[in-house]
Amino acid sequence: MAGLLSAEAAYIAVPIVTLILGLIIGYLAQQSGFCSIGGMRDLFLFKHTRLFFGYLALILSSFVSYLIFSFIWTGAFPNFFWAIKKGFLTPIPGAPGGLSNWAYAILAIIGGFGLGLLGVLLGGCPLRQTVMGFEGNIKSIFFVVGMMVGAVIFHLVVAGWVISLFGG
Amino acid sequence: MMSKESTSKIKKLIRNPIFLGTLIGFFAAVSQALLFSAGGPEAYGFCVACHIRDLINDCINLITGKTVLAVAPISKNAVFPILTILGVMIGAFISAKLNKEFKIKTSSIKMYLIYFLGGVLVLIVALLLGGCPYRTALRFGNGDMIAFIGILSMALGVFVGVKIILKRMEKQMGEDK
Repeated sequence: MAGLLSAEAAYIAVPIVTLILGLIIGYLAQQSGFCSIGGMRDLFLFKHTRLFFGYLALILSSFVSYLIFSFIWTGAFPNFFWAIKKGFLTPIPGAPGGLSNWAYAILAIIGGFGLGLLGVLLGGCPLRQTVMGFEGNIKSIFFVVGMMVGAVIFHLVVAGWVISLFGG
Repeated sequence: MMSKESTSKIKKLIRNPIFLGTLIGFFAAVSQALLFSAGGPEAYGFCVACHIRDLINDCINLITGKTVLAVAPISKNAVFPILTILGVMIGAFISAKLNKEFKIKTSSIKMYLIYFLGGVLVLIVALLLGGCPYRTALRFGNGDMIAFIGILSMALGVFVGVKIILKRMEKQMGEDK
């Protein structure tokens, strides 16, 4: 595992780099009203493609960037392209670890569906809610606080359920 | 000095979601190139749900002095929690203030409660999926087909949600008559 920075430098750089990226993304997200779920909603509801193309651009740009970077700095992208290197239905780590590929597919279906449904009913994806909150929308601030509490609940309670349900 | 035409061009670009989408994809790759030595996982450059989880859980771990709650390896190894979300908050606030779009909007206690619970639920389902819509996009860009299933399923969820909204609107229109 080797990125551009040495491990020691990277440990220190994590908060700095992520803060700067967050600042830029937050500023532009406020200006453009960027929203992934909102993009799909506008597409289905009004046939508006403005936000949806933003989300498509994100997928495309990440693929192209990973592709180019993986040639330049092989060390930082050892597993690109994942489906070929690691197996077609193997997920990149993130959800609770140690389950079978089918379990991850089921979790992705449940999680994705829930995220889409809740996002539409509440008027935005997690990023949009965070941005709206800091534009002065108090109910979105409550949403953000809810997300913080949700993170703790997930790891104290839900992760255990998931592992005992699918891991057994 | 920049000409009026070029400033308005820049303004248009800043307000274009395609520009931001492209930028997020690029930044995520840059971030991975820089920080991958700190520990993975892959496709972790930008994620609202996971980075909130890492920030909160890491802070709790730091305060209690032991690993109580799980965080991604990158956050576990770093000297200080991941700060993406703090950046997004400050960035959005500065932008709203500078462009005179900051406006306090209050609602009822009931709405606050609904949004709080909504936030809790959204983070839980996002972590089941393994990230918010953004990390899912990055994972798909990185070649993760489970993420593609997640995106399709999310679109289905949005579709059902839109149907519910339309039903609700029809009902309201019916009551108005």
